[in-house]
Amino acid sequence: MNRNHKGAFYFPLFRLLAMLRGGNAIRSESNAVEAWLVGLMSYLIHYLFFAALLLPGNITVWRGALLLVALAFWIWLFWLLLLYFNSLIIRLLHLCGFFRAIPNRRLQSALWGILTTAMAWILLDGSPALREVGAIWLVAAAMNLAAAMILIFSNGARVAGK
Amino acid sequence: MNSSGNWTSRFAVRGVFWREYLDWAAINLPFYTYPVLHFFMTLFFFFFAAPARRILLAHLAIILPGSSGALNYLRVFRIFHNYAWTISEAAIQKLNKEEFAYEIIGGKWLDQLGAAPGAIVLTAHMGNYDLGAALFAEKFNRAIRVVRAPEPDRQTEQHLSASLEKSGEGAIKVDYNTAGALLSFDLLNALRRGEIVSIQGDRTEGDLVATPAQLFGRNVRLPDGPFVLAQVAQVPLYPLFIARSGYRSYQIVVREPITVLRSGRDRELDLAPAVANWCRVLEQMIAERWDQWFAFAPGFLADEQKS
Repeated sequence: MNRNHKGAFYFPLFRLLAMLRGGNAIRSESNAVEAWLVGLMSYLIHYLFFAALLLPGNITVWRGALLLVALAFWIWLFWLLLLYFNSLIIRLLHLCGFFRAIPNRRLQSALWGILTTAMAWILLDGSPALREVGAIWLVAAAMNLAAAMILIFSNGARVAGK
Repeated sequence: MNSSGNWTSRFAVRGVFWREYLDWAAINLPFYTYPVLHFFMTLFFFFFAAPARRILLAHLAIILPGSSGALNYLRVFRIFHNYAWTISEAAIQKLNKEEFAYEIIGGKWLDQLGAAPGAIVLTAHMGNYDLGAALFAEKFNRAIRVVRAPEPDRQTEQHLSASLEKSGEGAIKVDYNTAGALLSFDLLNALRRGEIVSIQGDRTEGDLVATPAQLFGRNVRLPDGPFVLAQVAQVPLYPLFIARSGYRSYQIVVREPITVLRSGRDRELDLAPAVANWCRVLEQMIAERWDQWFAFAPGFLADEQKS
C-alpha cells in the first residue's frame, strides 16, 4: 500500500513516452488522467455507436433529446452486462487453461479494447463528426499496439507490484 | 438487524449484495471504467438511498449554516460520489494489493502512536477508515483492534469484518460496538497488554452509553466508551482521520493526543474536558472535509436539540 507509482502509466503509448523521456515504463493503474481520459473516451465511443444504431433519423427534437438522455443510462447498464459477459468469457478461458497468470481486470481490458475498437471502426461509416471520433480512437489504439511491441522488444513491459 | 434468512435484504441499500459486487468489481473491472461507473452508481444510490440522502441534507444545513438547499443536494451527491470511490479503493487495496499514495499530517503524533504501549485511536466515519487500519498495521507492524458501529444487515457485517481482517493480513481484529460489558473488559485487557484499539467516536447507536457533548452549536450524544477506557487504562486518545485527497491518494491526519484526567472525583467531570477537546477536533475536521463525512445513519446531529 505504501508503494507510490504516482505519475506512472498503464497504457503502452504513455509508458513508451515516459521511457523515451528517461522515466519509468513500469505499468501502474494509479494515473488519474489516464483513468478519466480512457474511461470517458470509451464511454463516448459506445454512446455514439448506440446513438447511430438505435436513433431513427425522422424524430422530433424533444423525443430525440429524451432518447439521448435515456441512452446515457442504457450505456451504463450495457457496461455492467458487458463486464459480466466478459467475466464469463474469462472464466471459460481459464477453464481451458489460457491466461491463468494474467489478472482478470487486464483480460477484461483487452476484451474491452477489442469491442470498443470494433465500435470505433463502425463509426467510420457515420457522419463526419462520428468518423472523426472513431478515427481518433483507432489511431490511439494503433499507436498503443505499436508502443506495446516496442516495449516488449526493449524489455520495458514491467508490471508494478506483480 | 436483518437476519441472513431474508433474501430481499441482500439487495437493500446496505445489503451484502453491493459489498459482494464491489469485491467482484475490484477483481474484474479495468481501472478506467471506474470514473463512469461511479458516476452512475452514485446517481442510482442518490435516488434509492433516500433516508441517507435526507440525513446528509440535514447535516449539511447544520455544518454549513446559510447554505442553499438546492446546492446542498449537489453536495450530497458529492458525498455519495466520494463514498463510492472510498469503498471501491478499499476493496482494490484489499483484493488487488494495488499501490496507494499517502501523505501524513501530524507525523510526530503518528510516530508517537506507533511506539505507544497501548493507545486508543479515536476516529470518525470519515474518508477511508478501513484502509487506515490496514495501513497502520502495515506501517508499524502492530496489531490493531477495530471497534465498529454495528451494520443493519448481519451478512454485511460479517462480510465487512472478514474484509477488514483480510486487508490487515492478520494484524486487524474487528469487534462490534454493542451494548454489554464484555467487549469493554476485552478492550481494557487489550490496552493493558499494549495493543492499539481504534474506535469511531462520532456517533452512538442503540442502547450504548453516551455522553452529552456540543457539536456545531448542537447538543449531541457521543459514545463515552473511548473516554472511559482511556481513563481506566490510563492511555492517551489519538484523533486520527484518513481523508481521500485524490485518485488513489490519501491524507492521514493525526491530531494532538487527548488525555483523560483521573482525579478520583466525579467521573463525568474528569471526562468533560477530553470530550470537549474531541468535539473541537471533530468539528474542525467535519467543517473542513464535510464531503467525506459518511454519517448516513439516523439519530445524530440533525436529531438533536439546538443548545
